[in-house]
Amino acid sequence: MIKIEIVNGPISFFTNDDSGKQDGAELIFNGRVRATEHGKNITALEYEQYEGMAEVELTQLAKATCEKFPIHDIFCKHRIGRVHVGETSLHVSIGSKHRKEGLDAMTWFITELKKHVPIWKWAILEDGSKIPSECSHE
Amino acid sequence: MIKVTIKCFSQVKYALGTDELTLEFEMGKTTSQLEQLIREKAHGKLDGISLRVAINQKYIPNETELIDGDEVAFIPPVQGG
Repeated sequence: MIKIEIVNGPISFFTNDDSGKQDGAELIFNGRVRATEHGKNITALEYEQYEGMAEVELTQLAKATCEKFPIHDIFCKHRIGRVHVGETSLHVSIGSKHRKEGLDAMTWFITELKKHVPIWKWAILEDGSKIPSECSHE
Repeated sequence: MIKVTIKCFSQVKYALGTDELTLEFEMGKTTSQLEQLIREKAHGKLDGISLRVAINQKYIPNETELIDGDEVAFIPPVQGG
């Protein structure tokens, strides 16, 4: 099963589902906002999306992940808008029969997300100014 | 004449100072020619920044001729996560 959500506001984590009795592994990844960006102190990141395309690309990526790896479930929430330091910007849950394929799938999914899904970060500096983040994973 | 809408994000928005442009030009304009125009409008602020092209919210791998009503985005390196 695939669930994709892009949310503008705090992320509520997916709740545990104990009905997946074929799964021996449940992997959770939470990406959080760090206090620094390229050596500069920040108070928050502001996530911008290409509305429509971002959700389509994220859904296609989740489907591709399920085809590439023997996993059963992938659930993902990505936050947009202002996310303060320490808060969660990305929440991913993957269910798989064994841990290895789940770990491999999680790594691949997040790596590809950072290459293709049209979402960007703006750094909010301590003086309140806002600049495009220099962080890139190309 | 054709009219296209250009969606601007991240560094493109920062360089051009807007999140959307509407341009009109003669038929036959390609994505590469439009990218060149956008880079000129940015006065060097997009130098060294790679841009992928999306038309109507789909990545386009090759140079494509634009048609009336297209929504075009020049997508700088993405940064989700």
